[in-house]
Amino acid sequence: MSEEETHGTEGDETPDDEAVRRLLRGAFPDPTRRPEGDVLRGFQARVRERSGGKFYADLWSTSAQPPVVVFLGTAALLLALVGAAWAVLAPLRGQVERVPMAPRPVEVLPPQR
Amino acid sequence: MAEPDPEEARFIARLVARDERAFNELVELYGDRIYRLVLRMVGRPAEAEDLTQEVFVQVFKAVGEFRGDARLGTWLYRVAVNLCKNRNRYLHRRREHAQDELEPHAERSALGTAQGVTTSETARPDQLVQGYQLEVIVKREILALDADFREVLVLRDIEDLAYEEIVQITGLAEGTVKSRLHRARVALKQRVEAALGEKLR
Repeated sequence: MSEEETHGTEGDETPDDEAVRRLLRGAFPDPTRRPEGDVLRGFQARVRERSGGKFYADLWSTSAQPPVVVFLGTAALLLALVGAAWAVLAPLRGQVERVPMAPRPVEVLPPQR
Repeated sequence: MAEPDPEEARFIARLVARDERAFNELVELYGDRIYRLVLRMVGRPAEAEDLTQEVFVQVFKAVGEFRGDARLGTWLYRVAVNLCKNRNRYLHRRREHAQDELEPHAERSALGTAQGVTTSETARPDQLVQGYQLEVIVKREILALDADFREVLVLRDIEDLAYEEIVQITGLAEGTVKSRLHRARVALKQRVEAALGEKLR
């Protein structure tokens, strides 16, 4: 007889079945238990290692949430750098000096002695 | 075949594209549930944590093969259960399945839940000891069961999954699941009664 043929439907559960079920639920009572370590970090480290650094190789991809503070900080830093460069270079700009570009007369004949 | 909702379908598409952020979300979303399932299957917290990480690594590798024939959570459970069974068989072969590494005392439950069969609101010290002993015995004996028995017991009686989900996770026919579950309960009850030296009420 196959394993499938030996037992009936869900409604056929006996009091013994129910007793075992209650016993099990009593022995594993904590539905909110969490791992002690950081599963996400461990997972990322394994993928990074096994992919040879192709995945999860930088801060941007390994943070659990989008690093908005890092985005904003980077943008502010770049703006500050542009401002500083402008502040340093702006005073150095001068007026254009006009240079006489008219050609001198060409002496065709040799000077007389 | 279950029709995936559009949001889940989009999420799966991101996973298939190996979107690292999508995998971060997946681990955040399912990490604790998978950990608890694995812990109930293998019994040792440190190993459960190791296996939980491995479940997500396997999902990362194999998500391209996910055909949407079940919900994503059910598929994750299937990967986890298969990994646990493989690990348990490996440990059995190597005779490294020490049964005395159960969870520490601090994690025990009160008698009201630990006794399981007979419950009470307030527990006397002798009842606490009795409940704790029963809890330890149940945990020890379920780990000593055949991996196939343990699988259906955990999924049905602890995780409280529907038969349809268990069928999708195990790949067994529904009749086989019910039959195996019945046999597993009988086997566990006999083991616990033998360890207690008395009949369960």
